[in-house]
Amino acid sequence: MAKSPQVTRRTAKKQSEIISLGTELCERMLADLERAKRPVLTATKCSLDNSLYNPKVGFLTPGSKKVSSELNVSSVKKMSRAIFMLEILLRNVEISNINTKRELYYVAKGLVKHESKLRPLDFQDQDESDSVIDFICEMMEAYREELNCVADDRGGQTYSKQLVVQETELDGNVSTIDLSTLGTAPYQPKNRPQNLVLSAREPIDFCLIIESQGTANTLVANGFTKRHKCILIGAQGVPSNAVRAWVRRIQEQLRVPLYFFGDLDAYTMQNIYRTLKAGSAASLIRNSDFCAPEVKFLGVLPEDIAKYDLVDYAVKESDLQEGRALKKARDALSNDPFFKDKKNKELKAILDWLVKNKRRCEQQSFISVDPRDPQMMEKIIIEKIKNGNYID
Amino acid sequence: MVKKAKKVVKKAVAEPDTSAAVMAKVRKSAKQITTSSTAEYFAKNLQQVGFSSPVKAVLTTVKEALDNSLDACEDAGILPEIKLYVEKLGPGTMKNTDQIRIMVEDNGPGIEPDDVAKVFGEYLASSKFGRGRCSRGQQGIGISAATTWAMQTTATGAQVVTKTKGARKAFRCVVDMDLKHNKGLLRDKSTIDWARPHGTSIEFKLDGRIQLNGEGGILNYIRSTVLLNPHMTLHYEISDVPAASIERVVNTVPVVPQATEPHPHTMKLGEFMSHARLFGRIKTSVWLKRGFSRVSDKTLNDLVTKKGLKKKVLDSFVDALPDADFKALFAAIQDVELLPPATTSVLSVGEDGLALSIRRLGDIDFFAVLSRKPVICDFKPVQVEVAIARLRERRGEDNEEQVQVLRFANRVPLQFDKAACAIVKALTSVNWRSYGLKQPRNALPLGPYIVAVSVVSPFIKFKNASKETIDASDELVEELRRALMQTGQRLSRYLSREHKADELEQRVQHIEQFGPILVDTLGRILGASEERKQLATAGLAKILEKDTKGMKKDLAAAEGRLASYLEEKKSRLAGFFEGLEQEDQASVVDSEAAAPTAKVSKGKR
Repeated sequence: MAKSPQVTRRTAKKQSEIISLGTELCERMLADLERAKRPVLTATKCSLDNSLYNPKVGFLTPGSKKVSSELNVSSVKKMSRAIFMLEILLRNVEISNINTKRELYYVAKGLVKHESKLRPLDFQDQDESDSVIDFICEMMEAYREELNCVADDRGGQTYSKQLVVQETELDGNVSTIDLSTLGTAPYQPKNRPQNLVLSAREPIDFCLIIESQGTANTLVANGFTKRHKCILIGAQGVPSNAVRAWVRRIQEQLRVPLYFFGDLDAYTMQNIYRTLKAGSAASLIRNSDFCAPEVKFLGVLPEDIAKYDLVDYAVKESDLQEGRALKKARDALSNDPFFKDKKNKELKAILDWLVKNKRRCEQQSFISVDPRDPQMMEKIIIEKIKNGNYID
Repeated sequence: MVKKAKKVVKKAVAEPDTSAAVMAKVRKSAKQITTSSTAEYFAKNLQQVGFSSPVKAVLTTVKEALDNSLDACEDAGILPEIKLYVEKLGPGTMKNTDQIRIMVEDNGPGIEPDDVAKVFGEYLASSKFGRGRCSRGQQGIGISAATTWAMQTTATGAQVVTKTKGARKAFRCVVDMDLKHNKGLLRDKSTIDWARPHGTSIEFKLDGRIQLNGEGGILNYIRSTVLLNPHMTLHYEISDVPAASIERVVNTVPVVPQATEPHPHTMKLGEFMSHARLFGRIKTSVWLKRGFSRVSDKTLNDLVTKKGLKKKVLDSFVDALPDADFKALFAAIQDVELLPPATTSVLSVGEDGLALSIRRLGDIDFFAVLSRKPVICDFKPVQVEVAIARLRERRGEDNEEQVQVLRFANRVPLQFDKAACAIVKALTSVNWRSYGLKQPRNALPLGPYIVAVSVVSPFIKFKNASKETIDASDELVEELRRALMQTGQRLSRYLSREHKADELEQRVQHIEQFGPILVDTLGRILGASEERKQLATAGLAKILEKDTKGMKKDLAAAEGRLASYLEEKKSRLAGFFEGLEQEDQASVVDSEAAAPTAKVSKGKR
């Protein structure tokens, strides 16, 4: 495991910073070439073996390991592609243009198509251009959003009768969205929630993030947000960058307790909840803005199964997906610094329990406690929050 | 059958009214047990000897006739010059067939008129059966089967013209078969003038289909036969293919070694006792020494002293030896230590001959040949020879086809049932990737190569009567593997140099492609001056030049290895290089010992 838990909170890079970072990098390379010296591109290694977890920091941070690529016959193609893509990204930043990764793939294809000498750089598929974009981000230690490369706005539909969002658009326009005016329609956070300023019309008691978007909709339809002063968010599975940054924004600007409610299984624990709470190994350089360390695990907890007599299932290792999740859980127990840290021993215990007992229980099983009562799930959630029946 | 008869008798007792009729039935069923002649058996089972489809019928007929011609020429010490005609005459009598005329004419010693009926019209009439020699034909089935097929499909026999040395006129006749008695019948006998001093011509009209290309095609058969018979000149005219002649490249007739006496460890008790009867009244000790290989005085002494055989058994006359003594003698000799069978009875083409011959297969880029020393596999002497050549004309197309495999057993091409053959099993088990060839897992290697593998042995174990597949015994497969791996190592000298050169070229291309793009893009982002860009381009060239230095060194080393291999090859294949010098010295030097274009002279005869 890598050492040096030295963490400084990163502030979002401005456009001018990104441009000067990019040009500095190019200047260094050109100067090296002029002196017939091999330019070296260095990036932070984004993997679990370079991940550190400090409970005081609260999220996974990069260790000291770097990935270096020195110019030689083998790497000249990779470097040429990286600089080619960097030029596209810097131009986007300069003119405030935004593209998805897929669009950038086509931008690159188009440039190659119209300039025959660039043909050797042509990307055969999107995976090739994606890896070049990721490499640039890691090299510049910049978020892809800071390079105006945004992901699809997936998940994070938010409901509240108290929340007000103020959004500053790229052209400087400011819009104010009062979520109480949206009825049962959700507010969809954007991929750059850093531009959002949040406020509350009246004090908010808590923020509940629900793994299943469908369950979140059901709760809202049944009046959850009318009865409780809260923010309710549907995560829609593994939280996207937008969801992670949005929850982080809520944590920082509203200072309300955050609870995550999802399935009791290995996948939810390590892929969904851990990513929301502490970020991921693949996004080490951006976890500081893309996770919410204060989010608590409300359930389903193993003891809930007995306490509420919930319907649960056996995990079949023969099932490809479930088998893979269990294997990953075993790996996480021995290698993931988040689960290895004693602060998270209760979460580790849950993961241990899941691996050992090979059971799973879905969030919707709370409905089975009293199928005739449409508010059953809501009642249990509130009861658990009131009684402190969650893991911090 | 007997049980069935008894049942019928019981039924007859139970029903006395019809007893006479039942007894008549019993007598009739007893009469149905008949014996058939060998010819009748083969006539009903021609599929077992290579006549299982119209395509195979044509190929088998060509093959059997050509094999006979080659064997006859070699036995008589004549350099074979063979003419082959295959033509369509019209629609055949069978569904989806043509009537095909096949004629093979050789300059062999000819056949005495009295023997013609036996040779072409009688099954199991052979001068080679069980003699333990590496001749192509062994049992005397093939050509008689062709006569049978011709009779069955077109009701014509085999038309034969033959002339022996010194005869003024040639003997001509038509051979039919008396299947019931397995006898050849001659009709339309006459003597004619024939320009040849000696030789034989055999002609069949039969139903079949001509397949020219593919593994089972006639052209592939010709290519294969040409490869393993460098001493043969072949003129052929097949259907729509332009007439062509392939000249011999070796002017000596291979001498088929005489068979050695059988080895006692290869015999069964019954064979052992029958073998004794061939020797008449001689002492057992003398019979053992004369009638077997690897039996010496020491062996006889060991039989008595170490294996406890009574001395009087060895001193007795073998024709008077009681069965019990035979059994004791057989058991003792099986147990005694003997040298393995001799390997002198195998015949090889030789590396020189293979090297010269392989050039006749097409435009060869380079090749490697290997003749293994004869070894004993499954107690039989076996020699394996391998030739691998790369075809120039198919190179560079990113050829992902499997290599073309030419299989031979006693110099006869094997064209069917490839998968189960020992040769293919050995080929797929070798890791060709380590020699520079592409190869999917557990499959034949890929590329524009011809891989010819020849197994020569007086006792080849075939899987079937049509001799299409060699049985894959572990020992034979291992011997084949060794031969293939050795040839692969020789081939890799060329490929290694080539791969290094390709790699270097690719890298240089890589640098030329990406270098300017990298500098241009950096210059554009920074708005750098032309001067800076030029400086950077020069710097980049210097950096990447260093990278190719190592590769150039590797290439030089590979070239050195190839050069020393070629020197060694020159001394090993002295005959080949002498042959080339006589033919076309300039092209040899130019091709780094690789072969120039095959000289297949073509023209209408």
